Amino acid sequence: MVLRNSRRRCLASAAHPEESDVVIVGGGPAGLALASALGNSAEVSKSLRVVLVEAGDLSKIRDWAPAQNSFSNRVSSITNASRAFLKDIGAWSHVQLDRTAPVEEMQVWDGISDARVAFSAAEMMTPERVALDEMSRLVENLNLQRALLRHISSMPGVSIVDRTKVQSIEKEEREGNGWPLVHLSDGRVLRARLLVGADGFNSPVRSYAGIESYGWAYDTQAIVATMNHHPRTAFEPPNTVAYQRFLPTGPIAFLPLSHTSSSLVWSTKPPLAKALQASDPAVLAGMINAAFRLPEVSMRYLHNRVLEAHAGGSTLLSDELNKEIAWREQSHNVDPRTAYSVTALSRSAPGGIPPAGSDLLPPFVTSIQEGTIASFPLRMSHADAYVGEGRGARTVLVGDAAHTIHPLAGQGLNLGLGDAEALAHCIHTAVRNGGDVGSYTALAPYARDRYFENHKMLSAVDKLHKLYSATAEPVVWARSVGLEVLNELDTIKAALMMSAGSARRTDPASVGWSVAASSLETVARSVNSAKSVGDTIVGLAGATAQGLLKRLSNSSRP
Amino acid sequence: MKPSRLPKPASRAIRYHSAQRHQRLYHASRAAFVSAAASTGSQSSVNPDEIALFSRLSSQWWDERGEFQMLHKMNPVRIQFIREKLLEMRREDGEDAASADDVLKGLNVLDVGCGGGLLCESLARLGANTLGVDASASNIGIASTHASSDPSLNYSLSVKSTSPAPTSRGKGALTYEHTSAEDVLATRGPRQFDVVCSMEVLEHVDNPRTFLRNCADLVKPGGHLFLSTISRTPLAYLLTIFAAEHLLRLVTPGTHTYAKYVRPEELTQFFGDYRSAPESRPWISRLYGGVPTRTEAETRGIIYVPWKGEWTLVPRGAVGARWGEGCNYLFWVRRPLE
Repeated sequence: MVLRNSRRRCLASAAHPEESDVVIVGGGPAGLALASALGNSAEVSKSLRVVLVEAGDLSKIRDWAPAQNSFSNRVSSITNASRAFLKDIGAWSHVQLDRTAPVEEMQVWDGISDARVAFSAAEMMTPERVALDEMSRLVENLNLQRALLRHISSMPGVSIVDRTKVQSIEKEEREGNGWPLVHLSDGRVLRARLLVGADGFNSPVRSYAGIESYGWAYDTQAIVATMNHHPRTAFEPPNTVAYQRFLPTGPIAFLPLSHTSSSLVWSTKPPLAKALQASDPAVLAGMINAAFRLPEVSMRYLHNRVLEAHAGGSTLLSDELNKEIAWREQSHNVDPRTAYSVTALSRSAPGGIPPAGSDLLPPFVTSIQEGTIASFPLRMSHADAYVGEGRGARTVLVGDAAHTIHPLAGQGLNLGLGDAEALAHCIHTAVRNGGDVGSYTALAPYARDRYFENHKMLSAVDKLHKLYSATAEPVVWARSVGLEVLNELDTIKAALMMSAGSARRTDPASVGWSVAASSLETVARSVNSAKSVGDTIVGLAGATAQGLLKRLSNSSRP
Repeated sequence: MKPSRLPKPASRAIRYHSAQRHQRLYHASRAAFVSAAASTGSQSSVNPDEIALFSRLSSQWWDERGEFQMLHKMNPVRIQFIREKLLEMRREDGEDAASADDVLKGLNVLDVGCGGGLLCESLARLGANTLGVDASASNIGIASTHASSDPSLNYSLSVKSTSPAPTSRGKGALTYEHTSAEDVLATRGPRQFDVVCSMEVLEHVDNPRTFLRNCADLVKPGGHLFLSTISRTPLAYLLTIFAAEHLLRLVTPGTHTYAKYVRPEELTQFFGDYRSAPESRPWISRLYGGVPTRTEAETRGIIYVPWKGEWTLVPRGAVGARWGEGCNYLFWVRRPLE
């Protein structure tokens, strides 16, 4: 009876699909940002009906009210360009700012050679040559999504349909080119002038559009967690420094959220991620402290200990781990008066004079916030096209549906916001010119704006990941003597600056400048720090030249 | 005739040959434009061969990656020109508060040679009550089918009544009719439309002077006539016929006829002589260095930028702006108030 009822409803509504201009599938940050950008423009919302469909319950996000010191484990670094976009569309004012933290400095170093680059907001310039006060801002994804939802709730032109799945998408039977018909789980059918896939990596919109995606899964799992740690003392820089160490198993990142909390993104091998997730949170905390400090050899040893324990069906105890760390530190002659000694840090009370080198390392992690440990697989993928054609006409992809990226440069969400910004701009232009926003002509500028831009970032980050997970002898050798590393660390810097350096995405000239500037720096720094190698070479060259001169002068003599 | 504008190939023999050929073409087309002027308006400007060609191609009108992709890409620039010009004139008329968003709202617009309705749909979305006419029945069929699938268009089947009425939804009414400019003039009488457009049509008609006169007569006093066409220059031949039709096959060979191309100065000259009534002033009353004042008429080149895949309006006063009119260009002229 119920079944027949719903079936009848289905048929009835199939006969009368609801006309909608923009149907956005997916209520993630990219989809919400697009909806909010469209709704914010009076010109667009006057002439377009925007519907956002989301399978999950968005009211949970809308009513999200966490305790002051507890933080969600999904945190993103919002670049200045993304922030400018969110401000432009009026959504930034809905972000709860006291739950966000600026990144004023970044410390990135290599796990094998300890070659390090540090860069700060002060070095970065806007196109007007004004130093930036922050490089990016760390925001919980939930905080951003809630802000966007609150902003959208005041917009009459945007309707949100949540707790509703897209059951199927089919092409309308019609002479000429039919429009996409989106069948929802509540029986409604939406006839979409433009269907936007903001529906993540396994995008149903992308498969409807017939757009292939290429890419590969990394043999890597990212562990995320919210860490509690000692506050920084008055003698140290405040907790506004992001740290990232490149271990051969993957990068581990420490991202500041408040005085005593920071977010972890640790990309590592899947078995290790599984073992760490299964162990006592205190063990994870200990491993995090060690991973930022111990030499790579010892980290490999500790990894094996964790793996062995996990394979044996038990877990490593926190005390056992501490003993292991203490022993490794002793054998490496780690000075207990420096911030490199995990053992010494664990015994000292917070406050007082900080140990030497404390500004080079993240604060000592005391515990992990309950229930914040999670992990997800990493992959790189890029759709062959962003705009559907032929049978898949009137579709467009944004965010993870179009591309997924390794989190090491913290760019995933920013790429998605960049897509939303460019697409909204494109739609706005089409509306202004009386165009059909679902037409290929209207959407082509979006693909032209974003495809190459995203591709640059995707390949740079992919290349970095590969370099750091490479075990081939020459690569490892080059890394261990710090030759390759400095160049590559600078690529990371350039990648981060590519969007961070420009205050606004719509200013491509500034990007060019900052990258050009940073490659000049690369040359300078490589020369500078490859000194030990360089000196020898200079010495050799000098000797040869001297010899040559001598011989010449000798031969010129009768 | 200006021999200085001819191309200068290296070989004397080739130069002679091409110059001769060019002169012949020039004379032929000049003759067509002038002789048409001599005859009176009773003649039809519709060319049956042209209509047959476009009827054959009509099913491709809405294939944005096919035969008409260049027109699809050109459409936003045409609209931009129309909107900017209308806004400029409203401000000129003292309407300081005129907003760029609804400058077309409520205007009665006629699009002569609407083809698949590319321009009409955009005009209607911007609030204009739009009538699209075309001499090809299959074009009208395609345009109607396409419009009826789009709920944002207030489309209705052709009614041979007076101009369509505005509707409550704020969208302009859209109507298509299988007819020609002279028949619209004959059935509805002169001075019917605030705006008359005819995009990429002039180079396909016989008797361009008759055609222009018909279009002009349909404009209300103080109303606007927008044209877009191709200039008769070697550059235009090279790009629109040699490259687009023969080399790249973007367009079916035979779509364009060089002799039918019209130069901007010929249009300026035409409207410099053209009067709505014998006693009234010509539409273009004076020229400064061959250029009309911006409140009477204007020519703007449009150039395709291949690396952007977009057409762009040549900025006013840009270096070489006259050169930018050497191929595709837009023309606007305003009917004087009476």
